Amino acid sequence: MDYTRLDDELLISLVQQNQEEALSVLYDRYGRLVYSMAYNALQDQALAEEITQDVFLRIWNKADTFRAEQGKLVTWMTSITRYRAIDVIRRQNVRPEGNQATWIEDPGLDLPSGMDVESEVETLDSSRQIRTAMAQLPDEQRLVLSLAFFQGYTHSLIAETLGEPLGTVKTRIRLAMQKLRQLLQEKDHL
Amino acid sequence: MVQEEHVVDLLAAYALDCLDVDEKIQVDAHISECQQCRAELQTYQDIVEVLPLAMQENTPPSGLKGQILRSARQSQTRPVAQTRASWWEQLAGYLRQTAPVWGLASLVLILLLGVNNLFLWQRVNQIESHSQAPFMSVSMTGTEASPDASGLLVISRDGEHGTLIVDGLATLDPTSQYQLWLIRDGQRTNGGVFSVDQEGYGSLWISSPRPLASYASFGITVEPAGGSPGPTGEKVLGGDL
Repeated sequence: MDYTRLDDELLISLVQQNQEEALSVLYDRYGRLVYSMAYNALQDQALAEEITQDVFLRIWNKADTFRAEQGKLVTWMTSITRYRAIDVIRRQNVRPEGNQATWIEDPGLDLPSGMDVESEVETLDSSRQIRTAMAQLPDEQRLVLSLAFFQGYTHSLIAETLGEPLGTVKTRIRLAMQKLRQLLQEKDHL
Repeated sequence: MVQEEHVVDLLAAYALDCLDVDEKIQVDAHISECQQCRAELQTYQDIVEVLPLAMQENTPPSGLKGQILRSARQSQTRPVAQTRASWWEQLAGYLRQTAPVWGLASLVLILLLGVNNLFLWQRVNQIESHSQAPFMSVSMTGTEASPDASGLLVISRDGEHGTLIVDGLATLDPTSQYQLWLIRDGQRTNGGVFSVDQEGYGSLWISSPRPLASYASFGITVEPAGGSPGPTGEKVLGGDL
């Protein structure tokens, strides 16, 4: 049976039955995404590997807690990864090197691969739209979004890190999210 | 009251989870009562959901996948082994302590051992039924008519519905379709008809009159397009629950 053609929901149901091949396909599909999320948050290869392993083992051991009606598997996985990375940053007091925005510059470059056909079309479309929208934001807005999203910094911590007034940081984040929403709505994405 | 003090300006940051504690508490309290702000928040949460698609991607080390699969394999076997060991250790310890009083005591111990074993098996069965409860699947193998075909039938948590995926079946002309049969006590019930693409891949959402988990076997035959009341064509795939 060729598991690579199965959709995410079927794969996760097979993971629940300890089908290692299903976990292997999920890794091929989303391993790069999970690792990238962790790496972008921590800027540390060893920690990113550790988190990627944690996330997939959690999927292996807790697949029965996934509820398809509450959202897509990829959203579940990226959420677990993000909060696991933020937890490491907060608990270990890790301050990732540099504050470079880690958003992709070219909307058409290096789109996620390995997904099932239906998901792939949908994801490629979403990727192009969000990347195009992100590219239109000013650098300072991309930077605060990066610190909030990947590092889990609060308004206050971002202001302290960048040496900017708190009000300025709040405004940048609000404007960035409003602009993204507007651009994506114009493209009939949401 | 709360409705008069909307928290619209804080919702984007709330969705990103970057509010400081006092503001987060304020938003939590407000959105629990304000549908308008909850709807507004959802539009920002939709954006947060797709943000990972805009990040720079990095290639994980080539050995990471193997490492994860090895760890998964190890974590799979550990709990059962631990459960059995602790029971046997307890029993062995008990036997050693009572060794001097053989005779009647031995007989009692044998009985205890039997009872304990019974409890142990019940417990193992319970653990297995819990761990396997959410989904069941049936692997279907090709018959002589289609030796390269394979299929997988996944039954939903409630046992009521299922999804069938097949691979490697021959593409049929438009007058024929494949039909799934649900078999129980020799009776065959229609499980639905489907076609496959040029590569022999097809799928079917199954809804049956009784829980799928109650059927013993499943078979697929070639039938006239739209299906037959009972199997008439050649069997191409089969599998048992």
